Amino acid sequence: MSETGTLRLAVGDRVVYPNQGLCKVTGVDTKEVAGQKLTMVSLIREEDGAKVMVPEAKVVAIGVRKVSSSDEVDKVLEFIKSDSDKASLDWKARARTNVERMATGGLMGLAEVVKGLQVLSELRPLPTKERELYNDARHLLVAEMSASLSVLECDAEDTIDALLFPVGKERPKRTAEEFRALAGGDDDELGLDGDLMGGGLDEEQPEEPEAEAEGESAEAAEGDDGEEKPAAKKAVAAVEKKLRPREAVTAPQEAMKKSVISDVDVTMPQASPLIEPVKRKRGRPPKPKPEGPPPEPKKRGRPPKPKPDGPPPEPKKRGRPPKSASAMPALPPAGLTGKKK
Amino acid sequence: MIRVATFDELDPKLVKDLCKILYQAFAVGAEHSGVVTPPSGMNEPWDSHRLLREAPKVAAFQDDKVLYVTSRKLLPRKLLTGEVPTFGVSQYNGQRAVVSFAHIKNPTENVKQLARYALQELGHTWGLHHCLDPRCAMYPHWTPSYPAGDASFCVFCRETSEQKIRLAKS
Ligand SMILES: [Zn+2]
Ligand SMILES: [Zn+2]
Repeated sequence: MSETGTLRLAVGDRVVYPNQGLCKVTGVDTKEVAGQKLTMVSLIREEDGAKVMVPEAKVVAIGVRKVSSSDEVDKVLEFIKSDSDKASLDWKARARTNVERMATGGLMGLAEVVKGLQVLSELRPLPTKERELYNDARHLLVAEMSASLSVLECDAEDTIDALLFPVGKERPKRTAEEFRALAGGDDDELGLDGDLMGGGLDEEQPEEPEAEAEGESAEAAEGDDGEEKPAAKKAVAAVEKKLRPREAVTAPQEAMKKSVISDVDVTMPQASPLIEPVKRKRGRPPKPKPEGPPPEPKKRGRPPKPKPDGPPPEPKKRGRPPKSASAMPALPPAGLTGKKK
Repeated sequence: MIRVATFDELDPKLVKDLCKILYQAFAVGAEHSGVVTPPSGMNEPWDSHRLLREAPKVAAFQDDKVLYVTSRKLLPRKLLTGEVPTFGVSQYNGQRAVVSFAHIKNPTENVKQLARYALQELGHTWGLHHCLDPRCAMYPHWTPSYPAGDASFCVFCRETSEQKIRLAKS
């Protein structure tokens, strides 16, 4: 991706911000700062209304790009259909590659992450952090495809999954040989005995520790959202940070996804003007009460039950945070600018 | 709150059992909002997109979800990569979901199966994506093993839905 090109943006343009998703350009304003003219592009993330301002000169370097064309979507679908891609068995190499794909790989990069991890999961369950990455990549891929093709997101996701989970078939199981053939054989931290389909996808793989532990301390300082993200997430974020040190602002709205947007200015409104309708307000209807006595609602917790059978072992790492100390930081007050460091 | 609207007069037990399972899965109240009339001129199999768009409104708050349940078949969707059987559709991160149980025999006895499909569509409205775990309700529902699974989520999807729901409430 060229860092020297320019991307002319105008109010109303829809763009993709790497790792963040679809944004709409809400302003392009030139200000004078210290005698110099500086043009700032204001973006709003469609999904949740997060706002960010980026100097126009940095737009390309940051990787902001136009939504992919339908031709590009076609290529991506061709790629997903192909059976050529095998992830590296070396988890560090994999993590590095995937971080790059997420940041600079465009729509194809997202597809590569999804496809690579999908195929890997057919060999053995994904470790937690890669399961999260898989979800993040899938989320961005679906949203961009939906925008590019002007279809509902459910159709965009099903378009991909008609290839990844062909109708009427169960997913194939892979052998380590398939991977080794490509990887050159120096595996292997591979939990080959992992029970692929039945083994609890949420198991942490001891062989693949939370990546790059050294990054964590830096990230741990992040604290004013009062709570830790799952360690694995931090690690991924840390890796990412190394590659893209400019990303330095955390907006704690949505713990699900990294909310790091840019080095400039991030404002998290309490509700998204674009996608999510304004949240809850006065007077909800009388307390939810499924007809028929619900199983006694435990302390606002989840009622008894869930979990598919052959319950996957409770996650070791990503353990459910104690309710009060959830990974979900409280929403900042409206207009608060979440600035870190 | 999950509002369950039905396009047909259904066995009250079925609706009640469905609500109960939804409540257990999401820890969010679920109740029957009554029978609603389908958009006019629909021929079976029904066009699921049209249902999503044109199903009559039911009273709901903005962060409520509305699940439309029908006994009618839904038209398979023709996508760029092929035709997919359609047992439900939904607005991602939105409010509406549609689910059909036309393919389920003895639905009253098999509410769990219906609920598994409903869980997926509602899960999408909270932003969940498809899952790699065949036991999870978010696994693609056209796979052969899907109908036999439980009406529940894997740990990842459950935690994700909890976070999303908490976020929506905050
Ligand atoms: Zn689905
Ligand atoms: Zn799942």
